[in-house]
Amino acid sequence: MNSLAAIFRQNRASLLTLLGLVLLPFIAGMFEGASPAAVWVNAAGTSKFIQGLAIEIFILALYALSFDLIFGITGLLSFGHSMFFSVGAYLTGILLKSFGLNLWQTIGVVFLAAIAQAVLFGIVLPRVKGITFALVTLGMASVFHILVMSRELGDYTGADVGLQGVIVPDFISPANERLRFYFVALAVMVLAYLLYQRFVASPTGRVCVAIRENEGRARMLGYNTFSFKFAALLLSSITAAFAGTLHCLYQPIVSPNTASMGFTVTALLIVLLGGVGTLNGALVGALVYRLLDFGLRRYIGESASFINGAIYVAFVLFIPYGIVGTWMLKSFEIKKGWERLVGMVKK
Amino acid sequence: MTQFLRKNLILILTLAAFLAVFIAAGQGMERKDFVITLLRGLSVGSLTFLVASGFSLIFGLLDVLNLAHGTLFMIGAYLGWTVYVRPDTFVDVLTPLALLIGGFTLSALWTKLSALLPASARTNKIFPWALLLVAALLAFTVITRYPISSWDTENFSQAPGSYSLMLDQGAPLAPPAVSFDKINPALALLGLLLASSLGAFGLSLFGQQTQSPKLTVKEFIPFGLLALIGFGAFAANDALTAFLTGLSNNWLFLIALLVATLSGIGLGALMESTLIRPLYSRPIYQLMLTLGMSAIGIEVVRAIWGRPEFVMPKPDIFSGSGQGCPATTLAAWWDKNCSIVLLFEGRVRVYNEIFIPLVGILVLIAVWILLQRTRLGMVIRAGVQDREMVEALGINVRRVFTLVFALGVGLAALGGILAAPSMGLSNAMGESLLLNALIALAIGGLTSYPGAALGSLLVGLLQQFMIKYGQIGIAIPFTEIIFKPTPPIVPASTVLLMVIILLLMPNGLLGKKE
Amino acid sequence: MDYILDVQSIHTFIGQYHILQGVDVQVPRGSITALLGRNGAGKTTTLKSILGLTPPREGKVTFDGRELNGMRSFDIAALGIGFVPEHRAIFRDLSVEENLKIAERRKGDLDRKREMIFSLFPDLKRLIGLPGTSLSGGQQQMLAIARALVPDNRLLLIDEPSEGLAPVIIEHMMDAIRQLSKESTVVLVEQNFLVASQLAETYVIIEEGRSVTSGKMSDLKQDKATIHRYLGAA
Repeated sequence: MNSLAAIFRQNRASLLTLLGLVLLPFIAGMFEGASPAAVWVNAAGTSKFIQGLAIEIFILALYALSFDLIFGITGLLSFGHSMFFSVGAYLTGILLKSFGLNLWQTIGVVFLAAIAQAVLFGIVLPRVKGITFALVTLGMASVFHILVMSRELGDYTGADVGLQGVIVPDFISPANERLRFYFVALAVMVLAYLLYQRFVASPTGRVCVAIRENEGRARMLGYNTFSFKFAALLLSSITAAFAGTLHCLYQPIVSPNTASMGFTVTALLIVLLGGVGTLNGALVGALVYRLLDFGLRRYIGESASFINGAIYVAFVLFIPYGIVGTWMLKSFEIKKGWERLVGMVKK
Repeated sequence: MTQFLRKNLILILTLAAFLAVFIAAGQGMERKDFVITLLRGLSVGSLTFLVASGFSLIFGLLDVLNLAHGTLFMIGAYLGWTVYVRPDTFVDVLTPLALLIGGFTLSALWTKLSALLPASARTNKIFPWALLLVAALLAFTVITRYPISSWDTENFSQAPGSYSLMLDQGAPLAPPAVSFDKINPALALLGLLLASSLGAFGLSLFGQQTQSPKLTVKEFIPFGLLALIGFGAFAANDALTAFLTGLSNNWLFLIALLVATLSGIGLGALMESTLIRPLYSRPIYQLMLTLGMSAIGIEVVRAIWGRPEFVMPKPDIFSGSGQGCPATTLAAWWDKNCSIVLLFEGRVRVYNEIFIPLVGILVLIAVWILLQRTRLGMVIRAGVQDREMVEALGINVRRVFTLVFALGVGLAALGGILAAPSMGLSNAMGESLLLNALIALAIGGLTSYPGAALGSLLVGLLQQFMIKYGQIGIAIPFTEIIFKPTPPIVPASTVLLMVIILLLMPNGLLGKKE
Repeated sequence: MDYILDVQSIHTFIGQYHILQGVDVQVPRGSITALLGRNGAGKTTTLKSILGLTPPREGKVTFDGRELNGMRSFDIAALGIGFVPEHRAIFRDLSVEENLKIAERRKGDLDRKREMIFSLFPDLKRLIGLPGTSLSGGQQQMLAIARALVPDNRLLLIDEPSEGLAPVIIEHMMDAIRQLSKESTVVLVEQNFLVASQLAETYVIIEEGRSVTSGKMSDLKQDKATIHRYLGAA
């Protein structure tokens, strides 16, 4: 019992955030005067809208988390990350729509495909390093993007229009069972986050960090750096593919943009916004990114990307290590500042 | 010799394979098609090279992946277009621009002045920001009232595209006249100078100066020049406009090339010294910054020139037609300035397929000489390998960084204006070229200058041959099948080439082994 | 005593690591001073901190009466400090001639020094047209020292000149360093105690980022206990 209390004390902020997220749909409903019961039966309204936005953020966070693992933690700069996501998304849609598999079979195949992708990246991993790895992965992802866009496969992928008309199983339908979808997405994200934290704290994860810091030294210490990098790649690929599956189930259309380089850049921006290699940063970054994007598009409209660009530039200049990274660096100073302030008041 | 062969075995084999494929590709089509495709490949290769070489110089020396390079290419095109199609706008803009920059060239004076300020912690924090704010407000007030003859993207008959079109038809539109009716001219000039001075003074207060520079006459020369341009263009506005409009558009095109390149250089210097410099210690964040800059650049272009695509008429020397055209000899071309010449019976567009490659080759040689024969080039080559040591020799690397960044952006801007008459102008013209350039660099070797040239050439040729074969089809040997590469295969082919080459030679064809 | 270089309790961080935790070095004008200590003790970082390549966060560095803190490293070097780094840092893409020429601070520096450099390192004369890559280790070391001699430097910082060289070449290198120490002061980082003890007049021992002891080399040679304690078996 004692240790439980200790765990609670140590993770107070995280647990409170989680509680907030669980209650979010109901609280959001209250602002509109909708009772929790109405929210429970998925009545249309603000709450449903907010849930939708939150689901998108969870999916983005999952995707960014998987990018942070290989980029921020292990130090592999991959420009092909969008492929991990979009393979999951497209495969889910195609299997459900054209092959008539059920959801569980589909998830199984996506899982295998994710492993296959990690193997594909793993094949080139020992040959190319640094920026060259980035370019090779970019090349592989571009080929996938071109495949998705090609007219020959249009019957399956929907070519440049995107994949649509996927029939989502009723019990998780984003239209009728959105609250359930919300909790599923939240649970997947939280589980993935906990898993990642365990991974980073585990001996394997520590070696990954060591590889990022100095690969030569890690190798000299006797570690087979390839297998550690591959482990990170595998975990990341599976996570991103599941994020893609959720995306396909939630969105009416899987756009080919999710396979483009731009979507990898999205992951990079989210991780940079939040703070590289912090894991928390990916979650915070996804929130900020999506809200910024949404807010700007809604209230500013056409020239939103100007403001977006300006915000990124300002971020880089004034919040040098991302939100979480800079917070971690500053938190000591902030704490000291508070203490000074409190001391002044008490005096 | 044998040792050299063994060391470069893969490279030689790869090049031999390329040659074989190239010859095979030539066998599959008629000679005139082959010549045209070859020249088109050279043309695309040259434009790619202009972007790639700058990108690679910047990456090699500064370690900055400048993802805004494509956007800067596009900005070069739009700026050059403005000079070429609307010289009156160009002349109008000169004065405020020169005066606004003017103050910032007097950094020595501001540093001297800032030493005179009383040192007080509180004012030192607020004062610079206040100065910047006042300067920005002042500049905004004046600029919005300053009469600049321009176009109107909302009004179709006054849109950039219409000006281009009418100029191409030989009946240039007369822009509506503008005059100083919202602001007193003297007040405007004074306001601009004041805004620039206040802004520069404010900025100088941010940096902590350890040593105060000497105030010599030399420090005032740039300012004097800018003031001369500014006031000169103001006083002789009408005369200058008349002169430029009256000029043959060949000369105007030359001026456009120059102005685009110079503004690229200026923009590059500005970008490096203000935005990139604080980030050398945080390399990954440079990606975010340059991406942000890229988005901003595209939006600014959209705000000024509008979203629709438009064309830029070719200068007269490349657009003749009528009797005697297409020309069959050089003399005939010179006589009639034909837009098309016949080469091995193929109809070759002079501007696209001869002039652009020619400029590309000229730039290749010029930069090569700069790198190999000048002290600056020596420092760049040394710095690409070991920046710290160059610094330890007492060489001001930061100035070299700024120069190289400026040079790289200048090359991209030159590429942009060069591409404009053949590609047309669009907001997205830079992106595809940047991707091409990245692929070319990966193929040739990221920080190798000859590699940039070789990679660009390969990418250009491959793309054009793929496009050509998309039209005529490839007869697959021993079968009846004729395979026609569809459009998506064109980008895919270069990407695949890149992946194959990187897996064979991780540093690219001519890259150095680390 | 007239010190050309005076380093007072500098602290240097590389990233989050506190590498130098109080190093004092005093270099008498015209002498050869050796920085001694085990691998990773902070000798190279000390040299780099003097040059501002890894600027110290605390402490003071004075060169010829001028405080160097806060100056940019190329300005520091331009005051007349030559640097010969650990791995020589010969520029591969430059010819031997260009490797020397790039070190010029004024036009014609190389032409004025050419005779002197060739008399110190006769080999370089024959190598002058070759690319920097084609040199052997010893030749690279000579070129790296020669490069530091091109401008008029009052202080030379030489890092591990004997590392990886054959004994004959080390001998030659030591002669050269003796020669050039007549014109400028030398600070030497050296693992090989035999080399250091023959060359240097004064020494500073650095241990785990701190300077622990210093004095005259002639005294240290007698002091077997100190040698054993800080430098291992010598």
